[in-house]
This record gives sequence, structure tokens and C-alpha cells, in this order.
Amino acid sequence: MRILVTGATGFIGRYLSFKLAEQGYNVVALCRNVNHPYLIPHKNITAVKGDILDRPSLISAMKDCQQVYHTAALAKMWRRDKNDYYNINVAGTRNVLELAMDLYISKIVYTSTCGVWGPTIKHPMTENDPRIDGFAIDYERTKYLAEIETRIYANKGLNVVTVNPSRVYGEGPITDSNTVGKMIYGYLKGKWRIIPGKGTQVSNYAYLDDVVNGHIAAMEQGEPGNRYILGGEDISFNTFFDTLQNISGKSHNMIRLPQRIIEAYSHFEKLKTSLTGLPPVFLPEFAARLRRDQKYSSQKAIAKLNYHITPFAEGMAKTINHIKNL
Amino acid sequence: MKPLTAIVTGASEGLGKSIALELASRQIDLVLVSLPSSGLPELAEYIRKNLGVKVTVFEADLTSAENCTDLFDVLKRRKVTANILINNAGLGNWAWFGDMNTGFYKKQIELNVIAPVLLTHLFLAQVDDERTAYILNVGSLAGRFVVPKKQVYGATKSFISYFTRCLQLEMDSQNVSISLLSPGGINTKPELLVMNHNLKGIAKATITEPDRVAYEAIHGMFLGKKEIIPGGVNKLMVLLNTILPGFIKDMIIKSNLKPVVKM
Repeated sequence: MRILVTGATGFIGRYLSFKLAEQGYNVVALCRNVNHPYLIPHKNITAVKGDILDRPSLISAMKDCQQVYHTAALAKMWRRDKNDYYNINVAGTRNVLELAMDLYISKIVYTSTCGVWGPTIKHPMTENDPRIDGFAIDYERTKYLAEIETRIYANKGLNVVTVNPSRVYGEGPITDSNTVGKMIYGYLKGKWRIIPGKGTQVSNYAYLDDVVNGHIAAMEQGEPGNRYILGGEDISFNTFFDTLQNISGKSHNMIRLPQRIIEAYSHFEKLKTSLTGLPPVFLPEFAARLRRDQKYSSQKAIAKLNYHITPFAEGMAKTINHIKNL
Repeated sequence: MKPLTAIVTGASEGLGKSIALELASRQIDLVLVSLPSSGLPELAEYIRKNLGVKVTVFEADLTSAENCTDLFDVLKRRKVTANILINNAGLGNWAWFGDMNTGFYKKQIELNVIAPVLLTHLFLAQVDDERTAYILNVGSLAGRFVVPKKQVYGATKSFISYFTRCLQLEMDSQNVSISLLSPGGINTKPELLVMNHNLKGIAKATITEPDRVAYEAIHGMFLGKKEIIPGGVNKLMVLLNTILPGFIKDMIIKSNLKPVVKM
């Protein structure tokens, strides 16, 4: 069977391509650059040059495939042209869904994000819970809009399943969108010395291996039109850095940077960017988010997809080991 | 003391949802009103679970007068007395006058004008005189500025502004506090988000986040403020509006309209 993976050089897409190839599937890896260093070489992976915004290239990549994993997205914190978020995440997804319909693709798994819910109050969010926050973050807004597209196409009869990974960490390249990897890498080098606020803010950390298995399970067992949270454990910044210290054996004096200072700094960065055009280190919408927890429940995926959560300490040990050897 | 109960219309999305969450976080029980199949039961369940307040759901189209009466009949039967009314439900538009049909404008006026009037009347008839009752009417900065492509919407919001100010005078000696909320653009519905994100300059600076607006609105309402204008830039705009000569204001409005009109 031929399977198309969009975003095949991304953090999730590259490892998903590899796993599918290992299972004996023929993977068509859609890349803007077929010589991309993050693409994993494998006899069952064929890198095909293309772009989700370029429909002819998408048609030729998709036309002999039976299944599609659509992982391509713009997940960066900042982009000079904000329209890129809409074009890549919404219009790009619409292209994939529309062509999948035209080309009679039997099933599509769309990679969304827990960012479509964003912050939580008390209990972890489930698939049925509403979003309670506004849409200050471009990535979250456009991924939310893209999910609306998938619902439109699901209603038209397309067999599309959505998966919502939380904050993904694991063995892979350190990129702008791999925020956890960046933090671990910085900590190991002794450069990351900050814990935001009191360190009590909780986020959900999903291990890459689990997330990729969850994608494959969603393709095999996911109900059309449904969405599944693929998360991990809810962990505070304090626990995160304690675990990192215990496993790596490196201990640094960490500075607990007050929330107000982080927010003031983020406004300075925003001003800097608007005056100079230089990329910001941090932005106010992300600083505000540090006030809120982001807890998510993977119970539905566990019950329906047999989703497995690797204990945080175990996943971290493997990730730290990987980053040490980079 | 018994917890307060607040009615929030248009509670399923945007500002209404943020106001509902803001009130619930202050341990105020809720009666949420919105159209059927707009996700209201899920929101209610979420609020009960996470904030521990009582939430009643009333799914109905408020453009029908019977539904307004029904709402208070249901509350009476359940022995619920509302202490707070948030008249938030509204229908916006951003189109040349000829581009929308007559049915749309009729609906817009019914929802933005008739429903708040009826609900306010019905609400005042059932309040407990011993406790201060609060009404928050959601107007708009569009009710103050003449903005092309918002002809009927802006006019309905001017109505709300007049209605609120007049009631404030009439009910000055009673135990009722009435506030007008005059927000600028808010980042709410995903459809609007695409539009807001294409705005530039002053138009963009007036856009605020719904949770921020909700906080300022409820805070101001309990302080008994007559008018609440969320956001620093918006306050400045209102100030400028009172001091600038008319022809300069017209220039500003037209120059702000240009990039949007091209879309």
C-alpha cells in the first residue's frame, strides 16, 4: 500500500514516515526539499518534491496513494508574514482534503493540536470540551479553522480522522517548533537557566513514539469525523526541570523569573520586532499563556485506539540521551 | 447569602462565552442562552465541572418574542430569580447596505434591539428588590462612530446606548445598576478572526481579546460604571472623538476603511 505523508521532514512527520516504512508500507514523503537533512533514509520511503500550496505537485504525489497523513503545518511562534499561518494551515489543509476527495483516498489522518483548546481551568480538557480562551496565537487560530475544514469535508463523506497531539517531545532534530527539545538542549549546555513564574504551571507532554503510534492507530481504528487527543502526562515546570536534573545528572541554579518580568520582556520583544523586523525571542500572547495550565486527557484515545502513554521519566531519559549524542 | 444568578444571552461563542466564564469564576450561577446546536450544553457542563456553579441552559432564538417570555417562565417554574442580565446576543455585519437582504436586517434589528428591550422589561419585573440588580447592555464603539458598512448594526448599537442612558436616569433611585459596554473589535469568532487579522494601524490596535473585555466589563458592572470602554486605544479614540472636528474624523474613518474595502 502507498501512503502519502505531508510534512515528512517535520518532527512528527519524519518519524511517522520511518515507522510506516519499517512496517512495510511504501511511503511517499512530500517535501519542499527532497534532500532535506531531517528526512530519514529508508528503502520504503520515496521523497517527492512538492508543497501543499502547489496543487499540481500535491496531485502527482497523492494520485496512487490509498491513505494520507497530513502532518504539514506552520507551527512556529512567529513569522514575518502572518498570512502564512492562514495559507499553510488552513488553505493548505483545504487543498489536501479537496484533492483527497477527488482522488478517492480511502482514509486521511489530519494532525491538529491540543492548541485548539489552549488553556484549561481545573480538569484536563477532553474532546467534547469547548475552547475557553480567545485566539491571540496565530498557530492555534489557524489550526482551529483547519479543523472546521475537516468537519466540512467529513460531512461531505470524506473519511478523515483528526488527532490532537499536546506538547510533543522525543528523539528528533532540535528545531524552532521542537520547543521541548530546545529547552532540554539549552539546559544540558548550561544555557537555559530559567523557570517561568513559580514553576507551577502545568503542561501536557506527549512522547513522540506514542504520538506516532497514535497516528497509525487512528488510521487503523479511528472513527470518521472523530478527533482524538494524543497526550502524555500533565507536568509542571518544576517537575520538568527536577526530572531533567535527576536524569541528566547536571544541576544548575535555576532562576525563577517572575511572570511580570516575562510579560514586560515580551512586550519589549514585540516592540523590537515591529521596529526592526528582527525575529522576537518571545511574544506577549505566549507570555500570557504561562499564567494558565494546559492539561489534556487522552482517555478517549486510550479507550478507542489502544493509545499508550510512556511514563514521562522514561520518555525524558530516552530524549536526553538522544540530545546528548547529537 | 444565596449566590447571585446571571442571565447571559449569546453565551455559546465569543464575548458571551468569556463573560459567562468570568461570572462563573466569581462563583455566580448562570443561565446561558443561545441558539440550539451552538454547543451550549457542552459549555454548561464544562463550567459546572471546572468552576462548580449552577448552570441552566436555555436554547432558543431570541428574535422570537415568545422565547423571551418563555425564558422567564422557565426560570419562575424552577424558582430561579435572576439578579444580573447580560444583554450580549447580537448580530453583526460588515457589508454595503445593498449587499444584504431585507430578511437579514429584520433579524438583526429583532435580535439587537427588540430582544434586549423585552428581556430588560421581563428581567426588571422579577428582580428581588432587596438585592442590587445589574444589567449590562453590550453596545459597541460602532454606536458612537459613524462607520460605513456597519449602517444597521451601528444604528442598533446607538439604540442600545440611548436606551441604557435613559434607563440609568429613570432608575436612578432604585436598587438597579445599569451599565453600557462599548467595546471596539474583539477577537472572537473564527470567521471574524481572518478579517481582524488583516486589519492594520488604528483599526488593528482597537481589537482586544475577549477574556480581557469580559474582565473589564464585569469589573466595571459591579462598580456601577455607567459606560465601560475596554482597552486603552479605544478610550483614546473616544476622547479624540469628542475633541476632533468632524472633517478630520471623516478623513480618519475613510482612510481606515480603504484597506478593508479592497478585500
